[in-house]
Amino acid sequence: MIFDYNQEALKNLQIEDTSILDRLVDYRQAREERQRKEHYQRDKRMSLKEAVAELVHDGDIWCDGAFGYVKTGLQGYWEILRQGKKNLQAIGSPNTNMSYGIPFGNVKYCHSSYTGAEMRGIDKSFSRNIKSGKVKILSDWSHGLMALGFKAAQLGMPGCFSKQGLGSDMVRFNPYLKVMQNPMSKEDDPVVFVPALCPDVIIIHVNAADKYGNCRFYGPAVNDIAVAAASRRVIITCEEIVSNYDIRYHAKGAQIPFNNIDAVVELPFGAVPGYMPGEYYWMRYFWEKLFLMTQDDETYKAYIKEWILDTKDVNDVIEKAGGIEWIKKSRRRARAAEGNIDPEGVSFVYRLWEKGMDTKDID
Amino acid sequence: MSSDKPMNPLEMLAYIIAKQIEDHEVVYIGTGIPMVAAILAKKTHAPNITFVYESGGQDPEHLEMPWSVGGPMTWRKSPIIMEMAYSFAQAATGLIDKGFLGFAQIDMFGNANTHQIGTDYLNPKVRLTGSGGNNDVSSLVDKLIYVGLQDPNKFLKKVDFITSPGWLEGGESRKKAGLLNDGPVAVITSAGVYDFEPSTKRMRIKTLHPGVSPELAQLASGFELVRPEGEIPVTERPSKEILEILRNEVDPNGLFISMPS
Repeated sequence: MIFDYNQEALKNLQIEDTSILDRLVDYRQAREERQRKEHYQRDKRMSLKEAVAELVHDGDIWCDGAFGYVKTGLQGYWEILRQGKKNLQAIGSPNTNMSYGIPFGNVKYCHSSYTGAEMRGIDKSFSRNIKSGKVKILSDWSHGLMALGFKAAQLGMPGCFSKQGLGSDMVRFNPYLKVMQNPMSKEDDPVVFVPALCPDVIIIHVNAADKYGNCRFYGPAVNDIAVAAASRRVIITCEEIVSNYDIRYHAKGAQIPFNNIDAVVELPFGAVPGYMPGEYYWMRYFWEKLFLMTQDDETYKAYIKEWILDTKDVNDVIEKAGGIEWIKKSRRRARAAEGNIDPEGVSFVYRLWEKGMDTKDID
Repeated sequence: MSSDKPMNPLEMLAYIIAKQIEDHEVVYIGTGIPMVAAILAKKTHAPNITFVYESGGQDPEHLEMPWSVGGPMTWRKSPIIMEMAYSFAQAATGLIDKGFLGFAQIDMFGNANTHQIGTDYLNPKVRLTGSGGNNDVSSLVDKLIYVGLQDPNKFLKKVDFITSPGWLEGGESRKKAGLLNDGPVAVITSAGVYDFEPSTKRMRIKTLHPGVSPELAQLASGFELVRPEGEIPVTERPSKEILEILRNEVDPNGLFISMPS
């Protein structure tokens, strides 16, 4: 396809070679890739190392799943960093994959929607890297606009029209968005055209999947159901691989269908250090320290190296965070947070990390 | 915490926002003080409100203050958990009554910025978080209220980037841009409560908090605040009982209502 981008945005973002933008909106090419796959229910189990080596390529548009530190397949992301994938374009609502992906040069471009940590503030490392040009923003989004782009791709539509985005400067910094007249109205009715968004690859973490890739999860879907269908390649990591019967006879059924999926990886604690609904709580020590480690590049790189590049897998990470003791407390805290056990004696107090604190001080 | 301790500005903010919520409303809640305020409203004068969060959580059973808009406290025993696209779509289709948002900068027409400090997009002084759901909520909910601390670096004549359109350039400009809803109905800050003058759409003082004079409010603003006719009312303070609920039941750990030291 030959694309007609928002010219003002191209100029404002100083993008001259627009070929870098094409794959995200080339829904025909994404369709062709899916057509070439085998579509029947086949056994897709593999190891995380194999799945990332085979399905994540240098230069891919890499989509973030779930909600930053809730239900996101972070252990899969960390494997992408360990394997040293390069020149990735980060996308997602929110997109916190950049927070780890930029410092060592894995992520070079981004389609930005939200990068930060809510109550703990902005991502200072991201801000520095924008200024230094280490990462380049290719398009700027709100959560809702990006969610509509994924939704359009899921439903097989070339795009859709929205009523958000009007009057915002984002449409001046997003080559994919166009303000236009609603073709169905004779009166003045401006709308924003949002194209279908087709990322190359996403890792989605779920509570349970069968070996074919039928998935069940708890907590907010955020964009996971839409992006699973929108992406060219999908890796599922799951707390547990269950039988096909278990999916069939569970009230939830499959929330993400097998035919979206390319690989199924059994990876207990795959959302660590994030929260996994029904399973475990945030690894609070990791986050609280991380927020203070983003002050300068060298400190932050050392922190990423310590936790991500110098660990070999999730077992190492859990060991670093306190091992079985962390698992016990974390389980209990998540169960209490969700109302499944009595919260008495379970603390939800947050503490900022201070020099000298170790994992026992902030569990 | 005892209610004898003097009230701090964040507690005052939480109370005033809570007062903006009426019983039976469906409200879209962002991170931070708006969460505190909505929970306070639910525990006091508005027990039948419904909470909507952008990650998809809706109508959770309250336990503790949510730490994230995606965290378990936003979907604890929720009867239904939405996808993000549909969560916002409920506002677009007319089902959300009010939204509460924060800002890094806001201007005289209620345009808000959460993108960057500095006007050079490619090399800003500081890159902030970006929109997240800010633009969506501001563009789609029925009535929008902004909440934040006030100083001349946050209250600007012109914001460095319009993340969320307010009344744009004033007058009829927002209508012309084609947005579904009106611009913000109120801005609530550490100094006072503001609304927008109906024809020019410029920010106007509605009430000022106890001890804040119009001159002081003006000093904390980078643009001229419109003064209403007649005497400016003083914002109502929370009662001792309300403060007690706020401190002991809503945010007992002071996660949001303790002033940063």
